[in-house]
Amino acid sequence: MKLSKEQIDYCMECGVCTGSCPISRLIPTFSPRQMIKRALMDLDETVVKGRELWACLTCARCSTRCPVQIDFPEFARIYRGRARKEGNLPQLSHHGTLQAVTALQTRPVRQNRTEWARETGKFASTGDYFFFVGCAPFFDAAIKFGDTSMDTVKSVLKLVNRMGIEPVISDDECCCGHDALWSGDEATFRKLVRKNLDAISGSGAKTVFFSCPEGYATFKHHVPQYFGELPFEVLHITEFLARELPGSGVKFAPASNGDGVVTYQDPCRLGRKAGIYEPPRDLLKLVPGLQIEEMGLNRENAVCCGTSAWMECSNCSKTMQTERLLEALETGAKTLITACPKCRIHLTCAQSNTDLHMDVADLYTFILNRIE
Amino acid sequence: MDVGRHPNIRLLAYSEVEKVEGELGDFKVTVRKKARYVDESKCTGCGACAEKCPTAISDEYNLGLANAKAIYRYFAQGIPSTYTINTNFCRNFQAGKKCGVCAKVCQAGAIDYKQQDQVLEVEAGAVILATGYELFDARRIPEYGYGRLPNVVTALEFERFLSASGPTHGHVYRPTDLALKESLPELEKSRQKAFKALEKFEKQFEKTSDEFYPLYEAGELKGEDYEKWAEQVRAFRDLDGEVQARKEKVASLESAHRLAFIQCVGSRDIRFNRYCSGFCCMHAIKEAIIAREHDPQAQVYIIGMDIRAVGKGFEEYRNRGAKESHIEYVRSRVAEITEDKDHSPVIWYEDTKERVVKSLPVDLVILSTACEPSPATRILADIIGLEVNDFGFYATDPSQPLDTSRPGIFVCGCAQSPMDIPESVAQASSAAARAAQVLSGSGTLRLAS
Repeated sequence: MKLSKEQIDYCMECGVCTGSCPISRLIPTFSPRQMIKRALMDLDETVVKGRELWACLTCARCSTRCPVQIDFPEFARIYRGRARKEGNLPQLSHHGTLQAVTALQTRPVRQNRTEWARETGKFASTGDYFFFVGCAPFFDAAIKFGDTSMDTVKSVLKLVNRMGIEPVISDDECCCGHDALWSGDEATFRKLVRKNLDAISGSGAKTVFFSCPEGYATFKHHVPQYFGELPFEVLHITEFLARELPGSGVKFAPASNGDGVVTYQDPCRLGRKAGIYEPPRDLLKLVPGLQIEEMGLNRENAVCCGTSAWMECSNCSKTMQTERLLEALETGAKTLITACPKCRIHLTCAQSNTDLHMDVADLYTFILNRIE
Repeated sequence: MDVGRHPNIRLLAYSEVEKVEGELGDFKVTVRKKARYVDESKCTGCGACAEKCPTAISDEYNLGLANAKAIYRYFAQGIPSTYTINTNFCRNFQAGKKCGVCAKVCQAGAIDYKQQDQVLEVEAGAVILATGYELFDARRIPEYGYGRLPNVVTALEFERFLSASGPTHGHVYRPTDLALKESLPELEKSRQKAFKALEKFEKQFEKTSDEFYPLYEAGELKGEDYEKWAEQVRAFRDLDGEVQARKEKVASLESAHRLAFIQCVGSRDIRFNRYCSGFCCMHAIKEAIIAREHDPQAQVYIIGMDIRAVGKGFEEYRNRGAKESHIEYVRSRVAEITEDKDHSPVIWYEDTKERVVKSLPVDLVILSTACEPSPATRILADIIGLEVNDFGFYATDPSQPLDTSRPGIFVCGCAQSPMDIPESVAQASSAAARAAQVLSGSGTLRLAS
């Protein structure tokens, strides 16, 4: 990324980025401000060779507040590409299993990505709507998560079926490339996107909808950046449902005492990256009597779930997650709802070996289960 | 004051410009003089009407922190000191209600409920625009929590707190503490109500509640009425305890000692206004010094990227603030404000000198919000057909800072660009001189008949 002349002239070294960074609070040597400054002073090499480049969560807390609009996550992403070339690599979580799966998908492999859907509801191979399922259903390959990792997408399929939509679900879909992109692996990202674009164009879809915020953000912002304008609409399912569910005649059972109070975790990719704050909340408000108690840090100020792109999961992550869970518990809510499968995994995982107990629920399943 | 008394100045307050026609030397300005429902020539400004007016409304001058009446004066020193009826709230103007109290108490007979707007045409050789400024809406920066965190206020609100005629008579109390104080009478009322209910039972059964309750608890008194009485006793005791607790809390309230100013809220920020608003550093220092004068225990922090003390004696003032009022200047731009358990704001920032992220708990946060063009600037620009610059202020040439894009129309103060009071006053005089200059020079000055 090139910083524009205006940004270089205008950066006042005010420290809003570092002051906003959840990592800087835990690792005092990590400072977005100083990294930007070093890059501006032609000390790129120290940034490219440093370990700290991988510590950034790319959560965009800094960039949305920057008075000069320096996109630090984008800065980190570009420098990660250079770091990778020089052999400075991140520490991969889960022994790199997920990156290996991604790498496999860049090759001509035959996948079974529709069996779960056949058991769940109705879908098609061509049509107006393409449901980009993402990898959520397949996380159980690496993460012990009971038998609920499929819930998100099953619930989404059931919900859209109720709206009379039989979306395309494709065996040829592959990883959206989000994690490769944010790990500086542009080559893998390009290969994956090309395969996905082929799969989508083969279906004749005019609208591609996503439940996973990462896939959505990738197609909304980065795919056009690399491949030009897309011939289809990119939609997040919360926007679609918040618009269509209220008038659809679907009725919700009132919240009972047990699940009456919930709180909501804004995923970085859905919130700060895409500006989608209200639709998920609007969906929750459809359940009569449900009380949404906001955490102090919500919407623009929400805090990341602790890791991103399946790398650099550290003590830092655990501390962040624990603090976030404590904040969620303080609201008096029994359930923490999120619209991102990774938030759900991370905030559930963080509870192990702690005294913290909170149900971390997926938005779509929560909604679906309350339909009368 | 001088303007109000000057024989050659006709003041049309509470009026709006509707049209400006003509050209240099011969402008015709259409002005709507809005109905005040009070006769300006009769009103002596004694204030008897407002004293007796039964309708309390939010006091705009005190930014909603205090109450005014439906017949009001914007502020005490305003010129002219005529009162005005706010028809949105006045009972006389609300369907189905009758009042007329102000007309009854007004000895000057100035109240006129039937007054109409007047449309005047003013002939003028030149026009000077002094449409002033508006403050940046701090809600646009969600991380600072203005509007969400009760103890985060703007510098203008703080100015009212410091003022002897302000809502707290010059004492700096936190909004949450004020709310607690104000909630006490309501709570005492409920307690009194519960007490009266007890008295009824006591009369009926000729026993005091204190005698009755132990007997009831021991199971000696049974029956529906006794149950109700017992319930009332418990309710009263709960309320009584609450009143005592809140009274103690209110009595122990102290004024806010730890204050932090946050600079450049909406200024020097390309998301909002990229310019420096110019006056906020100095007013933060001024308010900090006054706060310390009122409260010798006050510890004031001013957090900003730098202090822009541009002007004669300004730098010395800044140093005096540090030396005598113990202001601590912190070099940073605040990242976010969170809240502690007792509503105390916690400021998060990187101390860029020490290169460490810090959190600073304080009693009250004061936001130095940016100077923005007032809505009237835009409206008049459209009416008259004037150019504005990228920021929305009237466009002027650096070599002709008082001349707008139309000959004969001049500008001064924050309608032209952000500036402080002495600069605005100087510019106003300059604009008046500039107007006199072009009129006398061009020979087009027409004497008013």
